[in-house]
Amino acid sequence: MKNRLPKLFGLAALILLGALFTLPFLWQVSTSLKTEDQVSKSDLDLIPRAQMLVVDGRGVQVKPVERKGENQVVEVLSGPQKGAKLTVAPGRLYTRPHLEGSNYVEGFKAFPFFKMLKNTLVICVLTVVGTVLSCSLAAYGLACVQWRGRETLFWVMLATMMLPGQVTMIPLFQTFKGLGWINTILPLVVPAFCGNAFFIFMLRQFYRTIPASLMEAARIDGASDLRIWRTVVLPLSKAALAVVAVFSFIAAWNDFLGPLLYLMDDDKYTLAIGLARLQGQYSSDWGRMMAMSVVMTIPLITLFFLAQRTFVDGIKLGGVKG
Amino acid sequence: MKRRTWIGLAFCSPLIVGLLAFTVIPVVASAWFSLCNYPILDPPKYIGAANYTELVRDDQFWHSIRNTFTYVLMAVPLGMAVGLVLALLMNQKVRGIKVFRTLFFLPTVVPVVANAVLWVRVLNPQQGLVNSFLRAIHLPESFMPGWLADEHWALPGLVLMSLWGAGGGAILYVAALKDVPAELFEAAELDGAGPVQRFRRVTIPLISPVLLFTGIMGLIGGFQEFTRAMVMTQGGPWDSTLFYCLHLFNSAFTEFRLGYASAMAWVLFAIILTATIVVMRLSIKHVQYEQ
Repeated sequence: MKNRLPKLFGLAALILLGALFTLPFLWQVSTSLKTEDQVSKSDLDLIPRAQMLVVDGRGVQVKPVERKGENQVVEVLSGPQKGAKLTVAPGRLYTRPHLEGSNYVEGFKAFPFFKMLKNTLVICVLTVVGTVLSCSLAAYGLACVQWRGRETLFWVMLATMMLPGQVTMIPLFQTFKGLGWINTILPLVVPAFCGNAFFIFMLRQFYRTIPASLMEAARIDGASDLRIWRTVVLPLSKAALAVVAVFSFIAAWNDFLGPLLYLMDDDKYTLAIGLARLQGQYSSDWGRMMAMSVVMTIPLITLFFLAQRTFVDGIKLGGVKG
Repeated sequence: MKRRTWIGLAFCSPLIVGLLAFTVIPVVASAWFSLCNYPILDPPKYIGAANYTELVRDDQFWHSIRNTFTYVLMAVPLGMAVGLVLALLMNQKVRGIKVFRTLFFLPTVVPVVANAVLWVRVLNPQQGLVNSFLRAIHLPESFMPGWLADEHWALPGLVLMSLWGAGGGAILYVAALKDVPAELFEAAELDGAGPVQRFRRVTIPLISPVLLFTGIMGLIGGFQEFTRAMVMTQGGPWDSTLFYCLHLFNSAFTEFRLGYASAMAWVLFAIILTATIVVMRLSIKHVQYEQ
């Protein structure tokens, strides 16, 4: 018994905290499926419900419109009397579980979701391709080719990691403006093709563990460095490249400051900037905003479940988070 | 030059171009701008250290520094503590532990803006999740925090929100805990050390390098806090969530004072560098690296 107690306590704490950490997700999804009148009740009810009333012996969904003294005026939303306004005693109203899909439908209308999804995906895919390509090439140059100056380059690169992005933000903005790149995706994707110090550092550490004999053998067979990179190094570093791909994708998906600075037109917006704008316009429309935040989150949660191993690897390699 | 040098340079050429174009040249330009009066449309004009001396006299600058330090001093230690608790709980030998690991980690996967949209509502004083919960446990209405609507509660609200992401650090702590040899605990137990002593004398020292790492990363991230304030509060109420980087962004892109904002960026760099060095120095006695 003496040994059991701490164990039970630990398990109870685990379950309690697990529930606490899941609560915001459940509440988010539940609110996104609630009708407007149910959202404003602050009774911690996670089950979406609809306001109902019995009319002619049938339960129909109603919407509270206004109060009239003791009574409540409601609008009938379904059945033959649809659209009619009835005045009833509050006691006659009841609720039943109901999933309201209109928040999603209305949200997609107010929010050119698929256009923004397309814009976001274009930026994400180009960023991933550019980052994986440039970082693995540079890491090969830094780890697998012996040349004068590579240590200097490596240390200069490491030093730049210390620099907060705010320092280069203003000159870069002016440069991109001078190039006429404002309101295009170029400022967001071109830098990705020029490497990322953190990912290069990570890949270089990994490439150094590849046995030199493998590369030597290929070289003796007459393979060029480009060929060795493609046929020996890339296949061996799939797991590390997956980390680079997944985390650069997430960073591009989440990026807020970049699109805020460089994208001006609504039809160029990414999901991050579009949702932030919507938050300003529809801040009182809870159901719709929650629905849209669910929609923006689902792809990343899906990605997480598809590539859990890669996520854990990436986190262990240094907590890379957008 | 030797052939190998050419090959090495060729492989690194995107990196070299990128370092020059997106870091080295902008850094030099930024240092120059910080010494200039640069209203976005006119060319920069040299004014010496005037931007920096103006910073010292700018109330909003000090205010944003105070906000940012307050936030970092609350969010980083609390985040590490919650992460450590989660890690210790996840380190138990229980069936189905993987489910919990996923549950604690998932919040860190939520996109920043989607998270901001969610938490504006979680923290809503009337209908929000937190206050609904507090009401359910019968907290008197007069004690109900106003969160983002109240200048005294807005920063704690953002800290609370950041704690939802404590599972990211916890994953690192769990990995470090797994590396602690069981014999060490057994030896300590034989020597009569209780659970608290074992935690303080064995667990903490052995995972101290990871704690230091997450602390420094949290510090650097905390000083650059921007997106959440921009989306959720725009710095309000009464500038109580005006973070340093939000003030910097406003100076540059709403007041169009590029020189002044560049000076702020360099001060930020100095703050981050100093804070990192101070934390490293202070922790040097307490962090134990494996031999």
